[in-house]
Amino acid sequence: MSAQRQASSASQTPHLSPAELSYLYTSLSLPNAPIRPDGRSATQFRPLAAETDVLPGANGSARVGFADGTQAVVGVKAEVEKTVLGSDTTAAAAAAGDHDGEGVAGGDGQAPGQGHGSWVQMSIEIPGFRDDDALPVFLAEMMREPLVESVSDAKGSGGGMTGGLKARLVINRRWHWRLYIDVLLLSQPLSYPLPLLSLTTHLALLSTKLPKLKSQGEEDPFFDDDWNAAEYLYPRSATPSLKQQQVRPPVTLLVIAVGENVIFDPNREEIAVADTVLAVSVTRNDGSDGLKLLSIRTVDPPSRLTQPGVPNAENAATGGAATGGGATESGEVPGVWRPRRGGVKRSTIARMAKLVLQRGGVGEEVLEGLEGVQVG
Amino acid sequence: MKSLRRDFSSDPHAANVTSKVFVRSTKSGKVQKIVRELYLRQDIPCSSKLCSICPSVAPADANGNIAPFVLSESPAGTSAFPRGHYLVPDTNALLNGMDLFEHTGAFYDVVILQTVLEELKNQSLPLYNRLLSLIKTDEKRFYLFFNEFRLETHVRRGQDESINDRNDRAVRTVAKWYSEHLRAAAAKKGKKEKSLPAIVVITDDKENLRKAKDEGVTALSLSDYVAGLDDSDRLLDMINESREAREAKGARGELFYPEYYTMSKIMTSLRAGTLHQGVFNVSPYNYLEGSVKVAAFDKPLLILGRDNSNRAISGDVVVIEVLPKDQWKTPSTKIVDEEAVTKNDNPEGEDTEAVVTEREKKALQEEVRQAHGKSTEGKPQPTARVVGVVKRNWRQYVGTVDSGSTGSQAVSGRRQQTVFVLPMDKRVPKIRVRTRQAGDLLGQRILITIDAWDRDSRYPSGHFVRSLGELETKGAETEALLLEYDVQYKPFPKSVLDCLPAEGHDWKVPASKDDLGWRGRRDLRDLLICSIDPPGCQDIDDALHARQLPNGNFEVGVHIADVSHFVKPNNAMDLEASLRGTTVYLVDKRIDMLPHLLGTDLCSLKPYVERYAFSVLWEMTPDAEVVSSSFTKSVIQSREAFSYEQAQKRIDDPSKTDELTQSMRTLLRFSKILRQKRMDAGALNLASPEVRIEADSDEVGDPLTDVKTKSMLATNSLVEEFMLHANITVATKIFSTFSQTALLRRHATPPPQNFEELTNQLSKKRDLRLDVSSSGALADSLDRCTDAKNPFFNTLVRILATRCMTSAEYFCAGAHAEPEFRHYGLASPIYTHFTSPIRRYADLLVHRQLASAIGYEGEDGRATVYGVMTRNRLEDICRNINYRHRNAQFAGRASIEYYVGQALKARGEKVSANGVDGGIDEEGYVMRVFENGVVVFVPRFGIEGVVRLEDFVLPSDAGLRSVEERRELVVHRQSDFDNEEYTICVSDKGHPQKERSLTVELFQKVKVNVSSVKEQGGRGAGKRRVRILVLDGQ
Repeated sequence: MSAQRQASSASQTPHLSPAELSYLYTSLSLPNAPIRPDGRSATQFRPLAAETDVLPGANGSARVGFADGTQAVVGVKAEVEKTVLGSDTTAAAAAAGDHDGEGVAGGDGQAPGQGHGSWVQMSIEIPGFRDDDALPVFLAEMMREPLVESVSDAKGSGGGMTGGLKARLVINRRWHWRLYIDVLLLSQPLSYPLPLLSLTTHLALLSTKLPKLKSQGEEDPFFDDDWNAAEYLYPRSATPSLKQQQVRPPVTLLVIAVGENVIFDPNREEIAVADTVLAVSVTRNDGSDGLKLLSIRTVDPPSRLTQPGVPNAENAATGGAATGGGATESGEVPGVWRPRRGGVKRSTIARMAKLVLQRGGVGEEVLEGLEGVQVG
Repeated sequence: MKSLRRDFSSDPHAANVTSKVFVRSTKSGKVQKIVRELYLRQDIPCSSKLCSICPSVAPADANGNIAPFVLSESPAGTSAFPRGHYLVPDTNALLNGMDLFEHTGAFYDVVILQTVLEELKNQSLPLYNRLLSLIKTDEKRFYLFFNEFRLETHVRRGQDESINDRNDRAVRTVAKWYSEHLRAAAAKKGKKEKSLPAIVVITDDKENLRKAKDEGVTALSLSDYVAGLDDSDRLLDMINESREAREAKGARGELFYPEYYTMSKIMTSLRAGTLHQGVFNVSPYNYLEGSVKVAAFDKPLLILGRDNSNRAISGDVVVIEVLPKDQWKTPSTKIVDEEAVTKNDNPEGEDTEAVVTEREKKALQEEVRQAHGKSTEGKPQPTARVVGVVKRNWRQYVGTVDSGSTGSQAVSGRRQQTVFVLPMDKRVPKIRVRTRQAGDLLGQRILITIDAWDRDSRYPSGHFVRSLGELETKGAETEALLLEYDVQYKPFPKSVLDCLPAEGHDWKVPASKDDLGWRGRRDLRDLLICSIDPPGCQDIDDALHARQLPNGNFEVGVHIADVSHFVKPNNAMDLEASLRGTTVYLVDKRIDMLPHLLGTDLCSLKPYVERYAFSVLWEMTPDAEVVSSSFTKSVIQSREAFSYEQAQKRIDDPSKTDELTQSMRTLLRFSKILRQKRMDAGALNLASPEVRIEADSDEVGDPLTDVKTKSMLATNSLVEEFMLHANITVATKIFSTFSQTALLRRHATPPPQNFEELTNQLSKKRDLRLDVSSSGALADSLDRCTDAKNPFFNTLVRILATRCMTSAEYFCAGAHAEPEFRHYGLASPIYTHFTSPIRRYADLLVHRQLASAIGYEGEDGRATVYGVMTRNRLEDICRNINYRHRNAQFAGRASIEYYVGQALKARGEKVSANGVDGGIDEEGYVMRVFENGVVVFVPRFGIEGVVRLEDFVLPSDAGLRSVEERRELVVHRQSDFDNEEYTICVSDKGHPQKERSLTVELFQKVKVNVSSVKEQGGRGAGKRRVRILVLDGQ
């Protein structure tokens, strides 16, 4: 039971004493100027080293290492698969005469171009976890969802990516690509591995190529055997000035709030004392310059599971009156650790989102950094 | 964020590791990215005998020998390269000029790059195989250089570089490396640089030529290089013209033919079943009518006209689309000859042509009328059109230049012009060939090859390969035959002859029984064995004996030459034999499967000498019931080699009572019982028009006396019965041991619809019924097909019935279910070939399998594994020997046909009066009736020929005999053809009176005049053919 709980929470709770937790919390929640244990500013990311195309046999791959020693490798493999004609398509064909409106909304001509979310499969391997443990499953779903659900609003400007990744995987009415994204964390999960895995996956997808299709229309697919002719899954334009407008896979960032402060790229200790832990998925909004928020998920902060500190006043060992139990409930004693309780303030969430999304904000900074990584 | 790029430059090991990445699509539809590692090395030799560096580094085999160097130290040069040169062709040069590279007059010392070889393999498998065999032969000095594996010559594909550019760069890199390498080698030896041969890249790519110039590499286009050689006119003709021509013509050409579907569309539709795939066959009587047999229809689909056949040539594997039902038609009832219909086509002009000329349209339209007119019998058949070609089965074709197409300036000058070449094979369209030697080629048998058939060209275009010699000379005609039927007739290479026993003709069965050769062999030398063969037979495969056993039963033995003792699996001789598949018998020539020494001496079961044999022994009751059978390797000594006639005489001679004769009588008695049993089981007695030519008769007298129909003696059937029996016994044995890989022979039961037409004809004309429900029923009903007045009628029906059947084939036991093993003609549930290993490769394999099955170990103790073979390999072999077997039969028949023509010609020259050949009057039988002619079979010569309207001799023109005179008659003739009664009435236009016309019907016996005529003037001049005139019906 405890392993289960541990897995589902943001990370293995570091074995910090209540006093240490309290100290950390206090320094992180200093108004406007949090002092992080490693000395970073609130929005500063840890340095990372990235490399793409590390696995020659995969369609695309990347390796990213954080300075704390955590490393991840992601391989993307694509396979051609026959599209099982969904009941809606057949129904549409059959119900050409008597169309009764409900339930066959997807059937009329749109269905084949849309693709299906299940065509992207993601599996995450973390040392010490079984593949059906909650953490890998939860993480995989958290990254897969924005990936397949991000659909561009600006039609036509996406350079072949209108309709998002799902639509890109459609070959024709009867065939599609299936994408297997295998994520491998090479080290112990020292910190909550989501940002690392997300960045690595992002780079791997950027470097992913699909063989060039030579057949046309509804024919059985037939591909160019020259790998150099293969096309990027996320198409690029030749002109560098247009790079900003390119469709990119989403990135999921981990953001925490401690007191009034919003802190990015938290390390394990910081997460342990966070009031709120959010996983924010963003992507570039093609068409406009800005970023688009795809999803926000709250992650159960591990601080809820910590043991509370005992104030001196109540501590029998230090001679405090161990009489009235009721009084202790109310008062927050400074310097004494209390596990966090309750929800998140709306304003906090709004602030966190804003910091990510605003022009020149953290999201843009991260995406620009990723674009700086040579791909291919 | 920092991006890491791994830097390989500092790693000394990384420099010689690289990888090759490509996409592979599997049959199941999977698409995979494949990465192959490549470790570059520096010990791949340049293989020039000039080089002093490579011999020290070249990899050695286990014995410390390095592969001998190929390229000569003093290669031939041209005027441009007086110091000699090594050639480095690129892929296109080979694609366009493979015939040149095979030419013996030029193109020596050629470096073939691995890059080029692989590219060629992807583009053309036949050319790839030809190049491989060129590399294998020593005399042309072709060296395969593995440039991709050598560190210095490996080329990494640059960013945005196309595969083509990269490969061109690889060729240039090799050329550069070779010259530097040879210079270094020369410097080491202290030789002068001047004497080094030039390295010449041959490429037709303009960009490549330019880059080569920039980089200081000598490069020439193929035609520029050839122009510098002696005899360049002839050599230039051998370049594939299609590419150049297409470039020159550009977009100008009008497109005559519809485009083929894309490969992916074809594959999709084939899987979906909307398109079908099959082999395109052209009717021998009508070049505009093709048929394709596909699995989805039980009758072949018709393909009518040029636009529907869409550039397919007989033998191609095509993809077809069935046409809508209103376009279905009946098969043609007309003889349409390409030569006649398209005689006025101009080979140079293209613009005014339509794919379907008016004349061709007319020829087809009459059929449509036919189909709509009388609809009772002529049910329309499904028609289809070709929408794609999966595999071209183009080969080299033998033909003659159409003299009508050469134009007036033919003889004058060396100007390049386009001519038509008429292939010998009537089913192949004429081929447009550009040549500079049109004048010289007239009247010659020439070998050409098809390069391409583009949408904007009415005829395929090809190029000249070589001349076989004058028409009608023995050498040219024989070679033409062998080439047409793809018979491998070159002498055995040295590597094959090296596999023969060192003792040569002095080889003997070892005297001492302790010798290894005796291991596992039974000593049957004391048996009274004899062989019975056609007169003059040298390769004696089989011998027989019979003797009474103490228990009253008889021991009967069939002894077969032990070829597998001499031909070990997978050596050069075995591979050559498996390629040849069978010995081919022509009238005056025999093309052996095995070298002469084995076939006619060491293996041949010659009389009076000891020979190794593989024996099948039966114990039989006096009623020829088999009690037991056994197989053994043995040593025998044949007592006598009889011809069929000698054997017959000896058996019939009551004064002979010696043991040998007695045993032959026993054999004869048994054979009759066996034959009766076989007939009772429903075996068919089939017939084919066979004549035999005895070529060695004297000069004087009638040359036609050499032509003899085969006579059947009781001794023929004696041998035949026991061979069949041995084959069946062996088949059962090897199948019980190798249930998946036994090599068997089957004759599939023909589908009843094959007989439809014949049944129809018989019931209509003779009121006879043909029961095709089983082979036995068919045999019985064939026996009833007799005509008291016409004894040959029965044979005629048998010949026709045989043509309705499928041909027998070799197969591997795993390929069919056991009930499908049946041999229809012999009415045997299982069959194989065991008795002629000298002349058939299948028998040799069966020998090995049987040896394994009986646990014979052989001299080296490995014979038991010789018979074991994988099923895939065996199926490949079966495919080849079936093909070879069929071709050998065709070649044999064609040879006889040619000989008969020559005999007629010789006779004509001897007995001709006033220079006009009177021909010879014979009996003939009508085999097929067309709307504008009949096909007549002349049993005396075993030939069948088409008789056109003008060749029906009517009372009014009985005196006209010469070809020209008769041709005049064409325009006056008319015919009245009855499709249902199979009759044709020929008369002069405007004179339909009975007494002035000639009516001929199917199966009718007619009096014909056979002669050999030469076409005079006009098209096809100088071509000789056998002409049959129908004199009158009887």
